[in-house]
Amino acid sequence: MHLKISKIIKGEDVDKTFKSEEATSVSRRDFFKRTASVSAVAAVSILAPGALFADDINIMEHTKWGTTLGDECNYNPYGLPSKYEHNVVRRTSALMSSAGDMHAAISMSPLHELSGIITPNGLHFTRTHNGVAHVDPNKYRLMIHGLVDKPIVLTLEQLKKYPSESRILFLECPSNGAAEWKGPQFNSLQFVKGMMSCSEWTGVRIKTILDELGLKPNARWMLAEGSDGSEMSRTVPIEKVLDDAMIVWAQNGEALRPEQGYPVRLLLPGWEANLCVKWLKRLKFGEEPWYAKEETSKYTVLTASGRSIQHFYANEVNSIITSPCPEKPWTDLKVGDLVEIEGLAWSGHGTITNVDISFDGGKNWREVNLKGLVLPKAWTRFSYMYKYEGKPLLLQSRAVDDSNNVQPTVNQEKEVVGVEGVYHRNAICTWEVNAKGEVNNVQVRS
Amino acid sequence: MFKLDHKSILVGISVVASTALLLTGCLSSPSSTNGSAKAQSNELTGPYVGKLGAIDGGVIYPRENGMYTAYVLNEQSTEGINHGRVPTENELNAWNLDALPDGTGLPEGEGSVEDGDELYEANCASCHGDFGGGGQGYPQLAGGNQDKDENGIVKTLKNQRLEPGMDAPKRTVGTFWPKATTLFTYIRDAMPYAHPKSLSNDENYALTAYILAQNGIKIDGEKMTDEYVLNAEKLAKVVLPNNDGFYPNIDGPEGPANVKAFFADRAKNIGAGVRCMTDCKDPGMEAAGAKEAELVRIDYEMADVVPPYSTVRDLPPESEGVTISKAEKMYNESCKLCHSSDRMGAPAVGDVQAWKSATKKGFDQVLRNSIDGIGGMPPKGGNDSLTSDEVKSIVEFMIDSSK
Repeated sequence: MHLKISKIIKGEDVDKTFKSEEATSVSRRDFFKRTASVSAVAAVSILAPGALFADDINIMEHTKWGTTLGDECNYNPYGLPSKYEHNVVRRTSALMSSAGDMHAAISMSPLHELSGIITPNGLHFTRTHNGVAHVDPNKYRLMIHGLVDKPIVLTLEQLKKYPSESRILFLECPSNGAAEWKGPQFNSLQFVKGMMSCSEWTGVRIKTILDELGLKPNARWMLAEGSDGSEMSRTVPIEKVLDDAMIVWAQNGEALRPEQGYPVRLLLPGWEANLCVKWLKRLKFGEEPWYAKEETSKYTVLTASGRSIQHFYANEVNSIITSPCPEKPWTDLKVGDLVEIEGLAWSGHGTITNVDISFDGGKNWREVNLKGLVLPKAWTRFSYMYKYEGKPLLLQSRAVDDSNNVQPTVNQEKEVVGVEGVYHRNAICTWEVNAKGEVNNVQVRS
Repeated sequence: MFKLDHKSILVGISVVASTALLLTGCLSSPSSTNGSAKAQSNELTGPYVGKLGAIDGGVIYPRENGMYTAYVLNEQSTEGINHGRVPTENELNAWNLDALPDGTGLPEGEGSVEDGDELYEANCASCHGDFGGGGQGYPQLAGGNQDKDENGIVKTLKNQRLEPGMDAPKRTVGTFWPKATTLFTYIRDAMPYAHPKSLSNDENYALTAYILAQNGIKIDGEKMTDEYVLNAEKLAKVVLPNNDGFYPNIDGPEGPANVKAFFADRAKNIGAGVRCMTDCKDPGMEAAGAKEAELVRIDYEMADVVPPYSTVRDLPPESEGVTISKAEKMYNESCKLCHSSDRMGAPAVGDVQAWKSATKKGFDQVLRNSIDGIGGMPPKGGNDSLTSDEVKSIVEFMIDSSK
């Protein structure tokens, strides 16, 4: 059966023919009754200015899922996203790997598709230096030794017998945005800022364990060592260990994913994710720093002076507008539409206190609302309701934290550290919204 | 004029950050969150008691009145909690392998530059290039100009690629790395890349010696010739050219305090913004002598991402239900790293011409080469645990996939 429906769009008569085969279960009488009543409404609205729409087939006809039996309730014993969400995935680029080899590489979280402040475990960004290790939890051991009165070795089950704490914390690779030091390169939120995620992490505070082991007063540093092929190791100052450092085994309510260090990783709230050693094997307390490979040859910030910053810990105050963004443009908006500008702000130094946004590339700013949970060292959402004018914009966001850190401009950061530092880039990002509503990654810089 | 103003702003911020004003600054900030924003330490012990501000330049939040920021604390006593056990002496020795720059912790053993050369060719050159010179996309280990300026800074590390075509700063062992002991532990713990921890300490010393020699390093004034034999004692004496190229100073009892002082002065040391609200000029731009902000658009877009960009919500392409064979799985684990493309000089799987040429002398010869090793390829691709039959099935898979 073919139905013919007339509609008027912007003053034009458009004939649209569609098949109604999907509507087999709709009774003819019901269908025409509904069509008639909608037509009556349409006839009235014709007097009003603006668009008049055709009846939406998705409303007019019964759906396939509403007229068939669905899957059994536990068809997927471990639940999966809808098949329609198959493009909401982590992505990689050969540029962010060793010669295209994806064992030493990084995958980006699809920030443009994330809501709220929690990243689903399957979408958490992943950095590996020697592939994703698959640790047998039954063979897992954690050794804690060095300058402690009593060294110990723990099985996974023994570790999990310590009282747990849960904290919502972001993790960010210090290379986040590293491709953009010299200019914009990726036209994508996912690749400009996707080396970060935010989860609720559960584990034990290291201080709780150390209270019993007895830390010797001359301990100044802790070595954290991973058990994967790269044997990732880093030096951590004792102050951080005693403040808020954790050994975690759970992420958003379930065991860590292999990509995040299953079964156990170190978690140093607010600090570069490389320090949060995955597949954790050993903690050793000592007097002098170790100069491990990833705190010397890499993860040091080479400045324009030719000298390099070492032991650069916290991911500094930062923010990004997530909507609109290159992947989620405003091409479907009409002038006058009220739309939410939304984004994420975060600081490894503490808690976000303010976020400002600019429409003119940083000349003028207005403070915007924070919303939802505002927690230390966690993603914080901000929002501004904007009446779309259809004119070009240079959209920026700028975050402030409770240590009075203000996110720098590209030039302010460049002036101090140059453009070859690779790590710890937190300069203000700019989205250029053009007259069509398309969004492009640009930079305001000299 | 603005330049001066900017400087005064920087000074103002650094004073705030490096003194107790940090505390008042936090208290006066418009914090709307539960229990947040008080910089105070009443939790730490030892040398940090009473210090305000965290070592990273941020906030240490108090744990008081049962709260830690917005979190309710579980304050039940854990005194006497006693999980796990004391490790045995042998267990400690098995894992306690880290080494310090002064040589503490380095194992016994020795190896010559000459032996290292041979090991390097067999295990390392396919990724790190001949003589450590890079070129395969993996880190370059040797090369780069080590000349220093009058302040003792390696000159080429000051290279800033502000325009296309400019030279990058080279970060090799000789130009960039601070400590030679790191080279030994890196090789021992994490190399060769596909088969970490497979070499003996003698071999690790030999490889370390070879790479140091390629960088022209002298030990106690002595040039590292082919016959030079490296051991723990000699390695601890190496002073790499860029040893003094890193700050803040983390060594000795004042190390942590140096780091804290460094990050307290964030505006000067790592760059900070200014919260201007209207008619703002970009101070960084002014300092750089530019008049107007320049809008820089993407010149060459990096769009080669996997999977390709898409925000479409539709049904995924029908999967063909392919199950991966055991041979392919073993190929993925042990061979793919070198055979996925021709960049390592190995015949790439899928490259019909390359495999025609590789199989010229017949299947048996290819199989023998695979089991015994050939050129840069170690026996069984470096995975000794493969049986000859397994290697055979992998080679068959590789040939079948390249027709």
